[in-house]
Amino acid sequence: MLKIENLTVKYGVIPAVHNANLEVREGQIVALLGANGAGKTTILKTIMGILKPAEGNIYYQGESINFFSPPQRVKMGITLVPEGRGIFNRLSVEENLFLGAYHRSDKEEVEKDLNRIYTLFPRLQERKEQIAGTLSGGEQQMLALGRGLMSRPLLILLDEPSLGLAPLLVRELYSFIANIRKEGVTILLVEQNATMALKVCDYVYLLETGVVKVQGIAEEVWSREDVKKVYLGG
Amino acid sequence: MFSLGYLLQQTMNGVVLGCIYALLALGMTVVYGILRLINFAHGALITLGAFFTYFILVRLGIPLVATIFLVLGFGGLMGLVLDIVAYRKLRGGPEVALLITSLGFYTFIENFMKMVVSPQPYAFKAPSYLTTIFRTSFLTFRTIDLFIIGASIAIMWCFHLFIKKTKMGIAMRAIAENLEVASIMGIEINRVISVAFVLGSALAAFTGFMWGAKYGQISYDMGFLTGVKAFVAVVVGGVGSVPGAMVGGVILGLAEILSTAFLPTYFSEYRDGIVFAILILVLLVRPSGIMGVKEEVRV
Amino acid sequence: MRKINKFPELWFLVGGLILLVGVFLADHLLNRYLVHILILMGIYSITTVSLNLTNGYTGLFSLGHAAFMAIGAYTSTLLAFPIALREAYELPLLPSFLGGPEYSWPFFPALVAGGLLASIAALLIGAPVLRLRGHYLSVASLGFMVIVTTFAKTLRGITRGSMGINAIPSYTNIYWTYLWLFISVYVVWRIVNSRFGRAMLAIREDETAAQALGIYPMKYKLLSFAVGAFFAGVAGGLYAHFTKAIRPFEFSFFLTFQIVTMLIIGGMGTTSGPIVGAASLIALRYALKPVEEGLQIYGLIELIYATLLIVIMLWKPEGIMGKRHSRMS
Repeated sequence: MLKIENLTVKYGVIPAVHNANLEVREGQIVALLGANGAGKTTILKTIMGILKPAEGNIYYQGESINFFSPPQRVKMGITLVPEGRGIFNRLSVEENLFLGAYHRSDKEEVEKDLNRIYTLFPRLQERKEQIAGTLSGGEQQMLALGRGLMSRPLLILLDEPSLGLAPLLVRELYSFIANIRKEGVTILLVEQNATMALKVCDYVYLLETGVVKVQGIAEEVWSREDVKKVYLGG
Repeated sequence: MFSLGYLLQQTMNGVVLGCIYALLALGMTVVYGILRLINFAHGALITLGAFFTYFILVRLGIPLVATIFLVLGFGGLMGLVLDIVAYRKLRGGPEVALLITSLGFYTFIENFMKMVVSPQPYAFKAPSYLTTIFRTSFLTFRTIDLFIIGASIAIMWCFHLFIKKTKMGIAMRAIAENLEVASIMGIEINRVISVAFVLGSALAAFTGFMWGAKYGQISYDMGFLTGVKAFVAVVVGGVGSVPGAMVGGVILGLAEILSTAFLPTYFSEYRDGIVFAILILVLLVRPSGIMGVKEEVRV
Repeated sequence: MRKINKFPELWFLVGGLILLVGVFLADHLLNRYLVHILILMGIYSITTVSLNLTNGYTGLFSLGHAAFMAIGAYTSTLLAFPIALREAYELPLLPSFLGGPEYSWPFFPALVAGGLLASIAALLIGAPVLRLRGHYLSVASLGFMVIVTTFAKTLRGITRGSMGINAIPSYTNIYWTYLWLFISVYVVWRIVNSRFGRAMLAIREDETAAQALGIYPMKYKLLSFAVGAFFAGVAGGLYAHFTKAIRPFEFSFFLTFQIVTMLIIGGMGTTSGPIVGAASLIALRYALKPVEEGLQIYGLIELIYATLLIVIMLWKPEGIMGKRHSRMS
């Protein structure tokens, strides 16, 4: 579904990602792991079109999307749930959700999806008129995910969804992510919290200072002692 | 010394001027909220709108309703042109580049008008149905005063609904808060910014018409100080806040008129100075304005 | 660059001597009209160099430069005006703390006093405004300009109001002008190439990061604003004693706009840019003047200035002397 070939992304002259190759197959959950500053967010932003690749190609459903703008990519079914949630703090909860479906013109279906999100996250419905900035961290993460789903994505890019959440909420979040996959949405997941990510994902890439160091099926990577030591903190 | 009638009369004059500032401030605050641009060219649109209506309403005698739509359309078109020709190219660059370019466009338009119309002011003789005088026991006013207040309230109400309820309005607020995230929501940033420019410029041209009809005189440089004062109104009300722009505009208009009305005549020459003294006072005491949120510096 | 940095003072000394010879030759060989233009170029260069310190190196964008020039122009004029003519021109005699009614200041200290008063005004206006985002400074400094011209119009007992002051002795000559230009370039250069200057550049690039490094931006912004205002004030004084008449409306938005345009066209944040910008725009103005007057199309020069500014901003924002450096995202 998504294929990245020899991707290099630079900030000024400094490469943040160097010659990366990645593939995400339809229906998979693929995790992109690595320490802070390894280039994970950069890859997601480049897939979304916010950053331009210095070299390399990004293929989506077999088509090169290098020259497409972010809104065009959204229309093609790619959605990014940004790091730190990136919700609009000064807008109401419902307005935030509504913006997720900005590119869609099928009003009735949008309404249906809105109700679906509210059944999934009843807390959001209770607070739909509230300004999003006043929500708790967990609620904001729900809102960001819900907003991502409002665009009816085929491929959803999740940037550090567990960041700053209590362990209980992280578990809830991951069961939810597994649910999204069951509905047929492909997921590319970026995490620092490798333990949780490895439990749900099919395939793993380990990134170190902009370079893909290790890749493989989740269980295999999980069981490799050297990887555990270096990347998974024990 | 000052009767209640005098107070009411001056208050009404202040409200009328305040409405003009408020309409200008609306367009400015939306553009500033998104682009962090103090759009000096906004002032030039007042001048353009005033002369445009002068030629079609006073000279050609086109009916009022048609004039209103034509001047709105004209202003909107000019806004679109400015956006496409200049501002779009500078987006994403340093904020100051936009500011300087808008100064350039202001000066360009001002001197273009100076060359084309004349360095001398024009008398704007509004049609008689706009200048009919009504006298009551404590207030004297003309149709145009009612028109300005009525039209301003209607426009502000529509603008408020637009910003609060429509898809485009929500998108504008989203972009003002976080441009990058707004773009990954699928919002076409450039299109939304163009809409903001078109709306703001249409309103600015419209206020040019109001100004001419109310004060009876228009000139090539009329837009400068008015435009800058409108930005003062934005700051007083709270930068980026739509209700703030309206409140700030009315407060500024009232302050300007009432200070000249109630201070000894010696001070009447300080009228413009007073407006900017208010600005500096607000910046000193409450830089976020009356209804503004504290602005975080974008890094 | 390295080599120059080794003996910078020496280079300035050599440059100063060359300048002196050049000015001497110009004074003796060129006709009065050309010397007139050279002096105007010099005065505008001083204002542009000083604006560069605030707008180019610190990233503040002040639009109040005309106000500082007005303060300097009025102050130095009032201090240095001949006692004998004061009554005839309805100008007040000096109060005792400024030397008393029997005294009128020599030119040089009068210029310095004008500059100092301008920088005091800059400190007063800067203290509340520089804490805020750059844009507030633009509007507040523009407002300050309106306030200053309002005072110049209304304080009739001191400034003669809108009539302005005439018969100002023409003390300004090409030597004074280029001496002050030399001083302003040297001072700005010294400031920029010092610890102070590096701090200012850090503020321009990233204020938050600069703060994290322990640079207290307010101090640097205020100082650069005040030093810029000082030289603007001096230039205003030179201008008054050159044109021999000043009126409040001369110190208007268009004066500021011209200086801004000169700076942008020459290149913000460069050493030579302001001078190149000022000189070329003055030359352009004198080339176009016959056209404007001959065809009676007033506003033509301003229109061309504005067009140049827009063109430069859209296609070569670093200006004539600036180098394009890759922008970090």
